[in-house]
Amino acid sequence: MLGYQNNVLRVDLSKKTAETEPLRMDWAEKYIGSKGLSIKYLYEELKPGIDPLSADNKLIFMTGPMTGTTVPCSGKLAVAGKSPATGTICDCSIGGHSALRIKYAGYDAIIIEGALDKPGYLLIEDDKVSFEDGSFLWGKGCHETEALLIEKYDHDYSVLTIGPAGENLSGMACITSDYYRQAGRGGMGAVMGSKNLKAVVVKGTGSVEIPNIVEAVKRIAEIEKEDTLLEDNTFVFDLGTTAFLEACQDGGILPFKNFSDTTDENWTDYNGEVLMEKLQGKRGCGSCGLGCGNFLKIGDAICEGPEYETIAAFGPNAGNRDPEAIVKANQVADDMGLDTISAGDVLNWAMEMTEKGIHDFGIRFGEMDKYIEYLKMMAKGEGIGKELAMGVKKLAEKYGGNDFAMHVKGLEYPQYEPRGSWGMSLAYAVSDRGACHMRAYAPNEEVFAASIPPYTPEGKGEMVFNLAQFNAVKFSLCICDFWATLSMDTMAELMTLVTGKEWTADDMAEVGTRVINIARAFNQREGFTAKDDTAPKRIFNDALKSGPAAGQKIPEEAFEDMKQQYYSVLGWNADGTLPDSLIATL
Amino acid sequence: MKIKITLRGTLTKYFEGDKERIVEVPDGCTAEEALKLVGIDWTKIDNFGFVAINGLRVMIYDKLKDGDELKAYSKISGG
Repeated sequence: MLGYQNNVLRVDLSKKTAETEPLRMDWAEKYIGSKGLSIKYLYEELKPGIDPLSADNKLIFMTGPMTGTTVPCSGKLAVAGKSPATGTICDCSIGGHSALRIKYAGYDAIIIEGALDKPGYLLIEDDKVSFEDGSFLWGKGCHETEALLIEKYDHDYSVLTIGPAGENLSGMACITSDYYRQAGRGGMGAVMGSKNLKAVVVKGTGSVEIPNIVEAVKRIAEIEKEDTLLEDNTFVFDLGTTAFLEACQDGGILPFKNFSDTTDENWTDYNGEVLMEKLQGKRGCGSCGLGCGNFLKIGDAICEGPEYETIAAFGPNAGNRDPEAIVKANQVADDMGLDTISAGDVLNWAMEMTEKGIHDFGIRFGEMDKYIEYLKMMAKGEGIGKELAMGVKKLAEKYGGNDFAMHVKGLEYPQYEPRGSWGMSLAYAVSDRGACHMRAYAPNEEVFAASIPPYTPEGKGEMVFNLAQFNAVKFSLCICDFWATLSMDTMAELMTLVTGKEWTADDMAEVGTRVINIARAFNQREGFTAKDDTAPKRIFNDALKSGPAAGQKIPEEAFEDMKQQYYSVLGWNADGTLPDSLIATL
Repeated sequence: MKIKITLRGTLTKYFEGDKERIVEVPDGCTAEEALKLVGIDWTKIDNFGFVAINGLRVMIYDKLKDGDELKAYSKISGG
């Protein structure tokens, strides 16, 4: 198939070797690229039971067949490994320009093995690979690190870096690129830190070959005009994900004070329109015409974003309504290399613990100056921050407060309250990397919908499966979430245009199901079963008090019903495991 | 009775760019009926999202009262 470079760069940091090998095209035909293909490599190459923070773990940067072409919204990169936060498989999708540069350097993927004996970074300039001393960067934030490396090299290089959180092996450590883009969840930054790898710097001057290029590029341009640059998608240029705030408020899924309730009567203090008054500039990723990135400056605080997740985590869920504090906390978390979702949930849990008198973490709801200091301490592993960086699961095991520790499998909850979107509780529970909203975005189907009831288990297994299957394909291509009008048919047509092999919507759906299955098989091999597909007890026990979902809690039997529906659609066993017949197809 | 209809997202094109209008609707009419009166048939709009009355999500067939604010959203996606 064209569209690929048919070339993988395999780097052994322990031996300081970098060798190329052909891409497993037989695997690419079954898993396409990015998410799916990186999981396949890890499934085949990682021994079960390894310590995610040992040299035995591997970190894969995987592009897709569309990366580096003119396919819109295709400039994203999958970063995958075994997660130190959960022990599950973990793949993240990071925007910016690094994916294109890896592809233009001649590689479909970079597989990083082993560990350096002292801090360093990897420099890739097309087929030239070198191991550089990174001691002058160790301890520095992501922003300074990237600025120093760009100054040392040039603006036609991309930098993928970790901050202090990654160096200190926090399970909520990100990998950052283009200053404000993150492979955010599951601690991929800690995997990089455990390898003493501060950064990957890459420049590529090559190109990507696709068949019938003149006709293909013409048709791709038509698709962009007819299906991408529509007002249904371009809302992300105007308001970005800040638009979600009002919808989540009215929809009853905006979390408040560590998910103790939903909705905030003062939400207009920090809504999208208020934030956008502080807009300083815009940008987008490579290959993207939607340009969702918003640079805001409030006081001396500046960030790209904040995105909905961060507004909710550092805003109402932290008992905070000051937009400047949200932007400042976002800036600090990004610089420290911390996932804003997980870091927010940990601090919001700690504030509830303090206010309930269960354990005094020295911080209460709304204390944002302290909050921002705690973020720095968490990343640097200093004082109380060292404990907080363990994540809410381990903290609750030590101090109590498990009923309101908002996580699944050790990955903290995204900012969509599932008692107002019952399908979301299932999506979080069965997601391959712990609680994640990117695997199946249920609110779009059952909350932001005119005639579908959100507060019922009926039909939710199939609904979540359909969403998960679609996203598994989309993130294996790898196309951005914000191309909202994208369909299986369009993805199949794009695959045909780029690879020269005929793909149908059914073929794409089959890949999506296979990707869900192999991720599940990886986790099953690590010992995960239905008993780990859970929800926090708060979701079952405490009825919401406010908003359209007031009075709602999810009965445990309804939750179990949704899980069994989901397993059944996929042909899994009742205990959540894959039958041998399915494993044989992987 | 009089209600306020507020449109969000891409639906504002149905009010020629205005975000809201005060409209007269029959007593006891539903959200669906009120929107039809201003030319919005949600069943024919692919990216129609949901409706809220006075800031609370409701079903499209729920009824309005005098003085209510009916808000209609286009679809939201991504995360």
